[in-house]
Amino acid sequence: MLIEARKLRKYFSLGHGKQVHAVDDVSLGIAEHEVLGLVGESGSGKTTFGKTLIGLYDKTGGQVVYRDRELPQRYQAQDYKRQASEIQMIFQDPYSSLNPRMTIQEIIAEGLLIRDGGNLGSVRDKVVYWLERVGLHGDHLSRYPHEFSGGQRQRVGIARALIVEPKLLICDEPISALDVSVQAQVVKLLGELKQSLGLAMLFIAHDLSMVRYVSDRMAVMYLGSLVEVGPADAVYFSPQHPYTKMLISSNPEPDPVHERQRKDVIVSGEIPSPVNLQPGCRFAGRCPLVEPHCRLETPMLRTVAANHLAACHLL
Amino acid sequence: MNSYEPAAHEFASVARQPGLLTLTRPSQSYWQDAWLRLKKNKRALASLYLIIALLLMTLLGPWLWHQDPTLQDLDVISQPPSFGDTALVVADPGLWAGVTADTATLVPADPDGKLVLTATARIQTVGAATTQYVRVSWDSVPGAAFYLVYRNDHAPESGEDLGLPLGQTLAAAELSFEDRLQLREQDYWYTVIASDEIREATSFTTERIHVQRAITATQARERLLPAPLGATVALQSHPFGTDSLGRDLFARIIEGARVSLFIGIVAPFLFVLLGTIYGGISGYFGGTVDAVMMRVTDFLIALPFLLFMILFRIGFGIGPGESGIFPMLLALVLLRWEDPARLVRGQVLQIREEAFVQAARLLGAQPLYLIFRHMIPNTIGPLLVNLTFSIPMAIFTEAFLSFIGMGVAPPTPSWGSMSNDGLKSMLSSPHELLFPAIFISLTVLAFNLLGDGLRDALDSRMRSRE
Amino acid sequence: MSSDIILEVDNLAVEFATFGGSVQAVRDVSFKLHKGTTLAIVGESGCGKSVTVQTLVGLIPMPPGRITAGSARLRGEELLGLSSDQLNRYRGKRIGMIFQDAMSALNPTMTIGDQIAETLLVHMGMSAAAARQEVIALLSQVQIPEPERRMRQYPFEFSGGMLQRAMIALSIACQPEVLIADEPTTALDVTIQAQILQLLESLQRSRGLSIILITHDLGVVARMAHEVAVMYAGQIVEQGSVDDIFYRSAHPYTLGLKAAMPGKTAQKAELHEIPGSPPDLFAPPAGCGFHARCPHVMQLCESKAPPLFGAAHQARCWLHHAQAPTHPLRQQLLATTGNGSC
Repeated sequence: MLIEARKLRKYFSLGHGKQVHAVDDVSLGIAEHEVLGLVGESGSGKTTFGKTLIGLYDKTGGQVVYRDRELPQRYQAQDYKRQASEIQMIFQDPYSSLNPRMTIQEIIAEGLLIRDGGNLGSVRDKVVYWLERVGLHGDHLSRYPHEFSGGQRQRVGIARALIVEPKLLICDEPISALDVSVQAQVVKLLGELKQSLGLAMLFIAHDLSMVRYVSDRMAVMYLGSLVEVGPADAVYFSPQHPYTKMLISSNPEPDPVHERQRKDVIVSGEIPSPVNLQPGCRFAGRCPLVEPHCRLETPMLRTVAANHLAACHLL
Repeated sequence: MNSYEPAAHEFASVARQPGLLTLTRPSQSYWQDAWLRLKKNKRALASLYLIIALLLMTLLGPWLWHQDPTLQDLDVISQPPSFGDTALVVADPGLWAGVTADTATLVPADPDGKLVLTATARIQTVGAATTQYVRVSWDSVPGAAFYLVYRNDHAPESGEDLGLPLGQTLAAAELSFEDRLQLREQDYWYTVIASDEIREATSFTTERIHVQRAITATQARERLLPAPLGATVALQSHPFGTDSLGRDLFARIIEGARVSLFIGIVAPFLFVLLGTIYGGISGYFGGTVDAVMMRVTDFLIALPFLLFMILFRIGFGIGPGESGIFPMLLALVLLRWEDPARLVRGQVLQIREEAFVQAARLLGAQPLYLIFRHMIPNTIGPLLVNLTFSIPMAIFTEAFLSFIGMGVAPPTPSWGSMSNDGLKSMLSSPHELLFPAIFISLTVLAFNLLGDGLRDALDSRMRSRE
Repeated sequence: MSSDIILEVDNLAVEFATFGGSVQAVRDVSFKLHKGTTLAIVGESGCGKSVTVQTLVGLIPMPPGRITAGSARLRGEELLGLSSDQLNRYRGKRIGMIFQDAMSALNPTMTIGDQIAETLLVHMGMSAAAARQEVIALLSQVQIPEPERRMRQYPFEFSGGMLQRAMIALSIACQPEVLIADEPTTALDVTIQAQILQLLESLQRSRGLSIILITHDLGVVARMAHEVAVMYAGQIVEQGSVDDIFYRSAHPYTLGLKAAMPGKTAQKAELHEIPGSPPDLFAPPAGCGFHARCPHVMQLCESKAPPLFGAAHQARCWLHHAQAPTHPLRQQLLATTGNGSC
């Protein structure tokens, strides 16, 4: 494993003794050159997991091991600097992820200048190389982010992250703010870069079909805990956990005949508030197969097929 | 519906090279974009030009307008705006003997009262009627013991219309009067009424006399306008008139702008700077530091400004009637920085969580780099708007304090103290109040409109989500 | 067939005056909405799909917006150019509307029940007691549990999915014939989206609603639509039945969109991107709006805008011209029954 979360936990305090259980005892690893897809609805804690994993949030509990070295519990500026050439991230919102007062050149060069010092002139060639590598014209160095479309900004974000040649790239919903035709562009670009650079990626998204396309393995989170993890096709085509089944069956396919034939799945209820959770299966409230002991005992992940784990008492 | 019929060759396919994405629109930085937006806003642009004109007037005014703002010219007190006036050079008035009648020819008053006093036959000017002096003489009236002289600036319709007399002669033989009372260049109606110590004549004679602007030879020498007697010289123009001490109002407005704009610009710069540092620290560190620092600003809001202004004056040993620019500056800076501090804190708290700051963190950026490279530049827009709105507030505060006598003291003019001076003669010479008041209003309005325009131009988040 | 046309839009054109000049947001858009069916207008952000429907209900501020051409008739009555009084009479009552962001479409200071009741009082002239009963009935129709309790709550007490349900209840309160749903599920999670889509479908069945569904998601289109109009750069580039669009795509853009979505095929088919980005509508390109990104571009496409070819299934592409080189796409329009030659 390149990076591994062991019982990683992140609670946010709301005061008055209330705590949001954003990530609760999640153990998940990413191997070298592997793309792990992480799906879940909003409020499932998938983004918090990604950010806690790489130190953008302080850990409430558990540990993260990167190449056999434990990462700090709370990050100081020096800790980020130490891991800058190993782990980088691209963000969901292509608008807030680029500083509107900086030119494209300054944005992309930032990592190099912080790491190696020097000035814009000395890294110019490298910046142009990366700008063109992500499919943007090298002439656009002195443009500002607001002049680019969402997809183009996302490319700039990718160039900024990759110019320091990290081993692991966290992609936090990198395509959910983009148009369909542009999503494919960005996904293909990420796929190409992954191949040529040998990157490992954590690909966080809510679009299951896109995640299946991108990932080697797929993990599903619900209300802060991991409910299923396995090879992408296995999770997508033979989901084991009732929640994964619900998630996949509620995703409409671009195929009218298939949609007309679909039996309407019972999709009941909504994701509850993750405040002060009690023991028991998190999904019990919405599960069509719920049994009394589901509400009392928290299910553990267990192997259901080769490399395929799910957390459900009924399996 | 389509009328175009393409020719066969037009269906040839076009080969495309897979290229890099390019942009077609011209490049624009944040400030270029903001300036374009501001330029579309007519009111803001006009305000900007007005403010530039005001600043130029303050800085270059003394070189272009040579009038000394402290020069008192008692000959031209409370004069309305004048431009390009000329005046005749006349001899110094000296002591005028006047016109006296031969006592023998006078008909004494009739003790029986049978003799009815009549109007004098005629009134005539002696010498030229000028603003320096008007000398009138008249024919004697039989039975008169002395004469009352009236002056009006319109033709009197009846005896009641005359008002109070300008003066009276002391004897029946005195048949002339010299008027030197605040003469202006205009027509006056002089009226002479005879009196026999008991009654006044019921009929009177009025003479319309045109008064010509003149200065005496001595005054001409003093003003470095050497000219022979009887020549016409160009007078100093007073575009805004003069005040009650004959000082040029325009020169004083220029001089006063220095105080007003100094306080108005320096104080906001200082308190916005202080607020930025304070708010930046509070926002960046957050948590307990932030909580404590923000309670301090809460406390600050509760402090009454005027009370502190008075305390500072006392503290610095500045008595009533003495100039207090420094305590004013200090009070403004110490009591007004909490607004920008809150603004910056809010901005920093918000920007701290933005993805680009997290990205920079992951790239290994140090706190100072984050603050100066990412946070402060993104705060400057709202800060500039805040600064622009703070300036009129400070100008108005200065004007108000000077108006109530807590600001600058004479002879230093400021728009506020000039308004206060002008208030005393508001009815007789309104220009003394009007001009400083107009300048305060225009400046405050211009800065407010510019602030509005800047807010629209800068706060629009750079078309990013259009 | 023509008797059940509820809404007919002809040659609609809308432009906006902006800092940079005028933007031609909608160019020559025509479509028909049949009773009890769903017309999906699909396209990427900025293609003019929202502007089109917002123009119909008078939600485009004018200025900066301006209708430069076209007409829109609701059962034969002209909608465009109505005064705001006239607009208010049919908006809400004859055309209901739901938005992507239900939170900002509802008044945060009024309870959900009061907002729906207000509409009933104003438009339907109901008594307060009758309105209250109707509100409870409506809320249970949109499957909000415990309607008596929920109607006394404020929007912030509702989750996103519940809020969208409340929004739907509000929009159908006056029994409109047409429901315009502008990206109703874009902000929702996929399980909630499935619930809302199911709800819309059952309402359509029970009330005979005609729905205009604005979306960018081909999955939602396949799930919901009977008719589909694909918009690109302010124009409809292809329209037809849902099967026409998905199985007999006749425009390169529609094909591109489909290829850009990973389908549910067992093997990982290559994902095909559409290169480039949509044109800048400040200066729409001279020829076809799609020519810069089109894999089949011809000389003609760069200079002349193509007309709509076909009748029931239409596509705006020169490849369908009789003289164009034979291309697989050409068969698609001809394959559709009911399409004469053009």
